[in-house]
Amino acid sequence: MEITIPKTSAVLKALLKADYITLWRNRRATIMVLIVPMIIVFSWKSLVATAGGAFVLSNAITLGLVAIGLMGYTNSIARDRDKGVFQRLRVSPLPLWTIMASRLIVQLSLILLLTVVVFISGYNFDHITMSIGGYIITFLISIVGGAVYLSLGQVIVGRIQNPETVTSTARLVYFAFIMVGMFGELGVLGDQFKTAVDWTPYGTVKDILAASLEPSKWSSHTTTALLLTLGYTVVFATLGIKWFKWSNK
Amino acid sequence: MDAIQQNNILQVDNLNVFYGNFQAVNNVSFYVKQGEIFGLLGPNGAGKTSTLSAIEGLIKQQSGTVTVAGYDTLKNPLHARAAMGVQLQATSFQPELNVAEILELYASIYGLKLTPERLRALLKEINLAEAENKKFGQLSGGQQQRVSLAITTIHDPKLVLLDEPTSGLDPQSRRQLWSRIDTIREKGNSIVLTTHSMEEAEAVCDRISIIDHGRLIATGTPQSLIDKHRDDPHVIAVSRRGKITLEDVFIALTGLEIRA
Repeated sequence: MEITIPKTSAVLKALLKADYITLWRNRRATIMVLIVPMIIVFSWKSLVATAGGAFVLSNAITLGLVAIGLMGYTNSIARDRDKGVFQRLRVSPLPLWTIMASRLIVQLSLILLLTVVVFISGYNFDHITMSIGGYIITFLISIVGGAVYLSLGQVIVGRIQNPETVTSTARLVYFAFIMVGMFGELGVLGDQFKTAVDWTPYGTVKDILAASLEPSKWSSHTTTALLLTLGYTVVFATLGIKWFKWSNK
Repeated sequence: MDAIQQNNILQVDNLNVFYGNFQAVNNVSFYVKQGEIFGLLGPNGAGKTSTLSAIEGLIKQQSGTVTVAGYDTLKNPLHARAAMGVQLQATSFQPELNVAEILELYASIYGLKLTPERLRALLKEINLAEAENKKFGQLSGGQQQRVSLAITTIHDPKLVLLDEPTSGLDPQSRRQLWSRIDTIREKGNSIVLTTHSMEEAEAVCDRISIIDHGRLIATGTPQSLIDKHRDDPHVIAVSRRGKITLEDVFIALTGLEIRA
């Protein structure tokens, strides 16, 4: 009995279409994710002269990346798992990786949109301009940075089954990242804390983003931060995939 | 594979499924022939859904083989799943998608192109022509059931697996579903369904198996099981109206105590 299975590319295309429709229908949540970085760019206008445009933009992008990974991705995965959406897909003739690949591609698109929104906001609110090379490299680095928070979100949704607990945990981690990361970066919490924050996922991502905006300032410290960022991603992704269950029933 | 097995659209051999130390399915073997409607009956927690889940590939068996349309579900999972249409006990779709989008998504996943004409015909077929733009969550239980079955059979699968398909449906919707099940069989496709309803098993199934504590304890046509156990004192003892029914046989074989 000859049975033909659909092409993986066609399956991925269908999943992507459904996931982009979902993203569009949830556009209010998307706008909220984009508004926080815009507020940062607007309200940190005074820091442009002292800390530099790259500092302001990199912090704004980092905050947006944290929101996308911890709030958007994590919550949508937890909700669909709870509703049985994944189980329905799993009994279809598709490779399981395509389900997650589609979700991640949509999130990566959102990361690129966030980066564009921050660049435009930076130009309009604070008159920040960077070199063409800086903008291009930042697009790539924002994906690398986004991967850390998406994989951290995967850890949360992998370790915790209940969707309400996932949401509250993600909010808590998001809040911790904002408070500790942002205020630590600014030195409000002391010098030792500032140094420690430098090597957290917040600090390393912010560092590589700042350096990508001004490629001439890329240093060995930035390279270490990049390697650490990749390391965090590998560790979080490994644990997140290992712990993840398609169903919480 | 011998000639008899080649005719079987589903072949389950010595299937064992464990959840930790708990054995949910214990050495279960059965087959389903082409064009046959096979019912899996059992009390709550008897192992029906676990057996079905192993066939569907949702859980991995510890031992035993499952072959769908000649494809081993572990060795060729995608081919096996392409030959199946599955309706889970609780089905849901992305709540943001409307009925038309859900149908398009699943048609594409099965490698089908759903033209606007075909989509309209499909919606008309399931009496949901007006619900094209409604979200799945806005539909009634019966309407959700019809969308779900339409997706299950959208690719004209050789084997359709229905896990308690009439649970929670009113008599009209149940009868409509039974007639759709008959239509699937008329096309030469096979169906495996789990149910608690003895009435449904007698009305729809060609053959049934009764499963309890993970083991198959009886297999045959509904009438053959009644005939076989008609004179069993346990069956006579639980009979309520003097006439032996499939439910009497089921209760006598699985016991009277309520399961979790």
